[in-house]
Amino acid sequence: MDLSEISCEEVLGEIEHYLHGELDDRRASLLADHLADCPPCFERAEFQRRLKEIVRTKCRSEAPQPLLWRIKVALRSEWRTRGPGEGTPPKSG
Amino acid sequence: MSKAEAAKRDEELEARFEAEALPMLPGLYSAAFRLTRNAADAEDLVQETFLRAYRGFHQFEPGTNLKAWLYRILTNTFINSYRKRQREPQTISDDQVEDWYLYSKMAEGGLEPSAETSVLESLPDEDVQQALSSLPEQFRIAVMLADVEGFSYKEIAEITGVPIGTVMSRLHRGRKALEKRLWDVVRERGLVRD
Repeated sequence: MDLSEISCEEVLGEIEHYLHGELDDRRASLLADHLADCPPCFERAEFQRRLKEIVRTKCRSEAPQPLLWRIKVALRSEWRTRGPGEGTPPKSG
Repeated sequence: MSKAEAAKRDEELEARFEAEALPMLPGLYSAAFRLTRNAADAEDLVQETFLRAYRGFHQFEPGTNLKAWLYRILTNTFINSYRKRQREPQTISDDQVEDWYLYSKMAEGGLEPSAETSVLESLPDEDVQQALSSLPEQFRIAVMLADVEGFSYKEIAEITGVPIGTVMSRLHRGRKALEKRLWDVVRERGLVRD
């Protein structure tokens, strides 16, 4: 495998976009090939990937059970008093 | 439109809102908690978000990104009404945080690469949540939307109403700032030697 197609510096500079799935297929496969053959880059990429996963799993807070019920009550009361066409809606899009 | 037709339209909207928007509650609550940093405000913010969303739901184009639309209302509502009540964390000098900050610090701390993430995995959820919550607002919102909620850069640009380049810059700086906070936590807990 020819690592020279893309340098370690380029790989590490784009790694956060790569891990977020933001690179196009061609670029992503270039990075993937490099990572497969370059242990130092792979190690760093793996660290960032796991860090991202840790943030994702640890930063979830579970909604308290009564909240859904409370919101349904608030919506029902809204529905009784007026239709959705009234009020000041935010812009859609 | 006759009165009966209008009532029927409202009923359909209500049913669709319940079926499509309300199931987003868990994610929205979690996001609201990261934004407001406390459970009571998070609950109020989510309720306010759903009420506003319903009022604008007839303008929402079916088939477009409902999740991003709801998060945009959540973010705007937070910025417009809740933020004022809260003391913002001090802006940290994030420009001093270099790339690969946490990776390098942990390596200097004498940890094997495989042990590095195990240390982070062993942190209590609250520590990681507090680290994220302590980031300046723009960074906190960007990192939360990308790395906790899994939105793409383009979606985050739509949600926060800024260009994609700004999203990328906030994310990069936010992630680095988060790494610095996490390193502080790891050190405070004595999980690595200084």
